[in-house]
Amino acid sequence: MTGKRLGFISALILAGMCILPLGLGIYPQHVLIVSLFYVMMASSWNLLAGYTGQVSFGHAAMAGIGAYTSGILAVKAGIDPWIGVCAGTAIAALLGLGLGALCLKMGGIYLSLTTLAFSQILHIVIVNEYDVTRGTMGLQVPGLMAEYSKITYYYIMLAAAVLTLAILYRMIHSNLGLNFRAVQNDEVAAKSIGVKVLQVRVLAFTVASAMAGFAGGLYGHYLLLITPEIPSLDLQFNVLAMTVIGGMGSFIGPVIGAFALNILAEKIRDYGEYHVLVFGLVALVVARFAPNGLLGIWRRFRTRPHARSSNRLQD
Amino acid sequence: MFAISLMNGLVMGVIYALAALGVSLVVGIMNVVNFAHGELYILAGYFSYLFASALGVNFVLAMVIAVGLVFFLGLLIEYLLIRPTYGNDMYSLILTFILSIVLQNAYLLIFGPYPNKPPLWVQGATDVFGLFLYGNQRLAALAAGAALIAVIFVIIKKTWFGRIIRAASQDREMAELNGVNTTRLNMLSFGLGCALAAAAGVILAPVFPVTPTAGVPVALTAFVVVVLGGMGSLWGCVVGGLTLGLVENFGAAFISSGYKNVFGFMILILVLLVRPSGLFGRAKI
Repeated sequence: MTGKRLGFISALILAGMCILPLGLGIYPQHVLIVSLFYVMMASSWNLLAGYTGQVSFGHAAMAGIGAYTSGILAVKAGIDPWIGVCAGTAIAALLGLGLGALCLKMGGIYLSLTTLAFSQILHIVIVNEYDVTRGTMGLQVPGLMAEYSKITYYYIMLAAAVLTLAILYRMIHSNLGLNFRAVQNDEVAAKSIGVKVLQVRVLAFTVASAMAGFAGGLYGHYLLLITPEIPSLDLQFNVLAMTVIGGMGSFIGPVIGAFALNILAEKIRDYGEYHVLVFGLVALVVARFAPNGLLGIWRRFRTRPHARSSNRLQD
Repeated sequence: MFAISLMNGLVMGVIYALAALGVSLVVGIMNVVNFAHGELYILAGYFSYLFASALGVNFVLAMVIAVGLVFFLGLLIEYLLIRPTYGNDMYSLILTFILSIVLQNAYLLIFGPYPNKPPLWVQGATDVFGLFLYGNQRLAALAAGAALIAVIFVIIKKTWFGRIIRAASQDREMAELNGVNTTRLNMLSFGLGCALAAAAGVILAPVFPVTPTAGVPVALTAFVVVVLGGMGSLWGCVVGGLTLGLVENFGAAFISSGYKNVFGFMILILVLLVRPSGLFGRAKI
């Protein structure tokens, strides 16, 4: 896809997203805002799993770090939520840097194990430190603006999601992005042509953690109540399922996955709390039989008749 | 306080070692971490509860059936999910993680969030060295766990099958060249790893009732033990398991009981900082 055409389509979609909530009620607006949160989470997780081949199970924990940092600063020190969100992003980035540097030199499995342990420990700490975090009761935090308005939150989340996606797009389509891919495909070969494998991996993990912290901070101030549900394995699973089902390793796949699954989850919720089970089974089948997700299936379907002449796979 | 923490630490340590052996076996041979390990542990607990309490089968038989069923489930998981991912470690991590969430939610749907408990093997309590009274069930769990670990060591160190396992985990290609059917071995060792999780599950379920998410801390502890002991090392599992069991119980007794599981994480960080390859280095089973 040429740059011009891509820019045109993006602008069109963005314009559509700006108009979309105007005619909708409060509830659909809420669903869209949550979807945008998941777009940020899934896209940044995709930077790890899809582009550098590292599976982190602590992405939701990083969102929790962002949310709780900002929330605690606002409640205990009266700091402005916007500054709090920035602080949360920074702390998530620092933790990402630390965890990444600690376990990535030992290889991918260690990152998965350590991030899983990290998210569990964070959960335990939050539940136990009742005085600071209000445990499972949840921490009541102030909103981002003085007056609560769904539509304003929608535009804030939309802007944040666009910012996140733009940064990710620039990164992936730069030299750095090539390094990411090289590290994912063949670590030894990448090392042999001078790619600093460890630094590239740690950098990707730090950036993704910062993005999760940013998304979590905004999300917490939207919900006005931060609970241990944010840094939970269930949320982590949602992010993973959205990315896997949407299409891991493609830019747009996680975005589609986030919207599709989040809206679908609301529909399934009418019948009971089955959506996690349903998504799990679907994600198992997709990860097993179509590792490039729905987007991969669609692309294969589209490119088959003129596979040779098409270069769509490279967009 | 000291003596009873020591005792609790030993009991938990043996169970951790047992659970970690299953993980370590699979890591050593297949380089796959099974994130659904804890859920299979729980599944065996549910099976033994189902057969012994609900259907009235003899509790020993119920335990054997439970472990056997989980073993076959393990073979099935390897065949359906893990085998196609060889050469791509990342997908096996993702697949087993999804599997663990699916199983947790399936348990919630089938058994509900309430704790379930198979019957005790033995009643009453024993006076240990005149120091304190200790539940007979826990003592029985300790004995059963220790016996099972001994059996595993004998199998791995003394039998032909154990020799194949050791060969494959040291050098896969060389083992293949010597006629080992590694595809079959993978399947078998994955099933065996799951069966070890199940064995830990049936032993511990009468003491700690099973709930849909109770497997998560157990699996996490097993992972920490594997990293602490060194990936693929069997002795590492035993030493690491006992260490972690003791640290957790002393920590819970003398520092804070709410933070019981956090001590394991601290050990994990410490190991990664100081000696990332673990106590017993890499993979010489």
